[in-house]
Amino acid sequence: MNSILEIKNLSIDLVDGRKTYPVVNDINLSIKKKQRYGIVGESGSGKSLTSLAIMNLLADSLKITRGSIVLDGKHELTKMKKKELRKVRGHDISMIFQEPMTALDPLYPIEHQILEVLRFHFTFSKKQMRDMAVEMLKKVGISRPEQIMKNYPHQLSGGMRQRVMIAMALICSPKLLIADEPTTALDVTIQAQILDLMNELTEDFDTSILMITHDLGVIVEMCERVAVMYAGEIVEETTVAKLFSNPAHPYTSGLLRSVQSLGNRTQSLYSIPGTVPTPKQQTAGCRFASRCPHVMPVCNSSPPFLEIGNDHSTKCWLYAKEGVVNA
Amino acid sequence: MHKNIVLEVNHLKQYFPIKTGVLRRTTGRVKAVDDISFEVHEQETFSLVGESGCGKSTTGRTILRLLEPTEGDVFYNGRNLLDYSKRDFRKVRRDLQMIFQDPYSSLNPRMTVKQLLIEPVLTHKLASKKEAEKMVIAIAEKVGLSTEQINRYPHEFSGGQRQRISIARALIVKPKLVILDEAVSALDVSIQAQILNLLIELQKEFKLTYVFISHDLNVVRHVSDRVGVMYLGQMMETAATDTLYERPLHPYTQSLLSAIPSHDPSVKKKRIILKGDVPDPSNPPSGCPFHLRCPKVHDRCKIEKPIFKESEPEHWVACHLYDNEELSLQP
Repeated sequence: MNSILEIKNLSIDLVDGRKTYPVVNDINLSIKKKQRYGIVGESGSGKSLTSLAIMNLLADSLKITRGSIVLDGKHELTKMKKKELRKVRGHDISMIFQEPMTALDPLYPIEHQILEVLRFHFTFSKKQMRDMAVEMLKKVGISRPEQIMKNYPHQLSGGMRQRVMIAMALICSPKLLIADEPTTALDVTIQAQILDLMNELTEDFDTSILMITHDLGVIVEMCERVAVMYAGEIVEETTVAKLFSNPAHPYTSGLLRSVQSLGNRTQSLYSIPGTVPTPKQQTAGCRFASRCPHVMPVCNSSPPFLEIGNDHSTKCWLYAKEGVVNA
Repeated sequence: MHKNIVLEVNHLKQYFPIKTGVLRRTTGRVKAVDDISFEVHEQETFSLVGESGCGKSTTGRTILRLLEPTEGDVFYNGRNLLDYSKRDFRKVRRDLQMIFQDPYSSLNPRMTVKQLLIEPVLTHKLASKKEAEKMVIAIAEKVGLSTEQINRYPHEFSGGQRQRISIARALIVKPKLVILDEAVSALDVSIQAQILNLLIELQKEFKLTYVFISHDLNVVRHVSDRVGVMYLGQMMETAATDTLYERPLHPYTQSLLSAIPSHDPSVKKKRIILKGDVPDPSNPPSGCPFHLRCPKVHDRCKIEKPIFKESEPEHWVACHLYDNEELSLQP
């Protein structure tokens, strides 16, 4: 039992009046101890909803209809009571978001916000907690921690705020850190700093990371394994090296072709035609069929999630023949 | 190969006053754009890159006089845009169009696509209403919108399609120069590629000159002929795209390029991680604006501001490392 998080058959529906629309459809993933796992997908792929479901932070209009999320082999997060969940959040699992300004409370100085986490989970003296906070701020590369503790969020730059968020997230040494687009709002030079810092810290703290991003470059920099999501489904799951050297799903290879043809000005950019279907445009069968260059009649029914090689699975009919032969 | 210069920006400055207190007295200035100069050649794409707050968007807006510059000149086909009266400037504005990042806020939600596209034609009195409708259909087709779609409202479209509408709206008046301010930054990768291809096609077809403002270095490499790198309101380096990406001179450009995440796990890049943040533009450092973060800083950079000059043919840089006469003084 060495997986820290196990998601099985998770489905999430959007409830709109009397109608419901599936927004996350039957996804499975397993994150091992100290692993850096990435979920990559475009807007509307359901990647952020998956991360919010783990923390049980879904809005009221979104309901988990099926599946389980098990932390550390013992806590079933979807069935936990609110009170129990509050002990898990921040302590066992913590999360950093894209926009640190909205995640930090503008009315309180940094010190108050970091100590709040500690006060909630531990019974240390105020002095002990302050020392821990200063220590943590030093670890995230803040040079004058005593002064920063007195500052309000608006007095800090975007990169500094994200450092503070990371300090708050890691101060209880969580088993899992969920990072939802942590560097999307930051400039490239600051992004490089923050990714470097996250890599360093998770080594020190033995924390697993679930990285949610739209940027394949961030996946390359940070992760060992990756799941590609498209329109609410995981379409491919494998190691980062395999995904890039041997992408299986037509969506993944299209995505890779379009980012890798960037910069070569002699050719026109490869682009995937069409747009991502919205949850309200439900179609039977493969969600990518309308944009897929390899579409076949069989794509009208939903493709199975197939193991196509060592540690490499994809949800595509192209590989079904081999699957049938193997079975 | 001598190309026609369409746009020439000379020593452009845009300072914003900081007003404080009840009396709104000016207590300081943010030097958003501080003395930058560049040229844009006919039918090329010139890109301005830099991190947030470096003044690249302000530069774009100032060229079109959406902001009145504090100082400097902007020559369009040899005539200074800043000499025009407001009224005369409107006529020139037809040649100079702008496309913004967020197609959600730059299109009026109460107008249909057709109304949105007709408006600029009628404003500039380019055609009668009847002819204008024909123009709308023609341009809609060019940007990939169908005839049925033009009677819909912007909210019925996805982000990529909305950006197509913005492009059609800019191009319907047959401009010569288009300023694209982060035009593809809000779009997903697969849609971004579609829009970039469209922009490149349209540039060829309509013989357009682009000023492309972006923070995305991969996209910039793809679309540009020449690139200018800005930092804290100043131009640090300009060069042809390939030269800049393969042989960047300025330490800032070098670290900026090394920070782009690679899209290939088999290539491990050596990254230069910069210390610290971009300084506050209301209180810029003395000397070279980059000296606080520069890995190659020496004493002179702290006091003396480097001059932006041509260090190699067609390759301009503002850095003391390339002051030839001072080379002997360096450690």
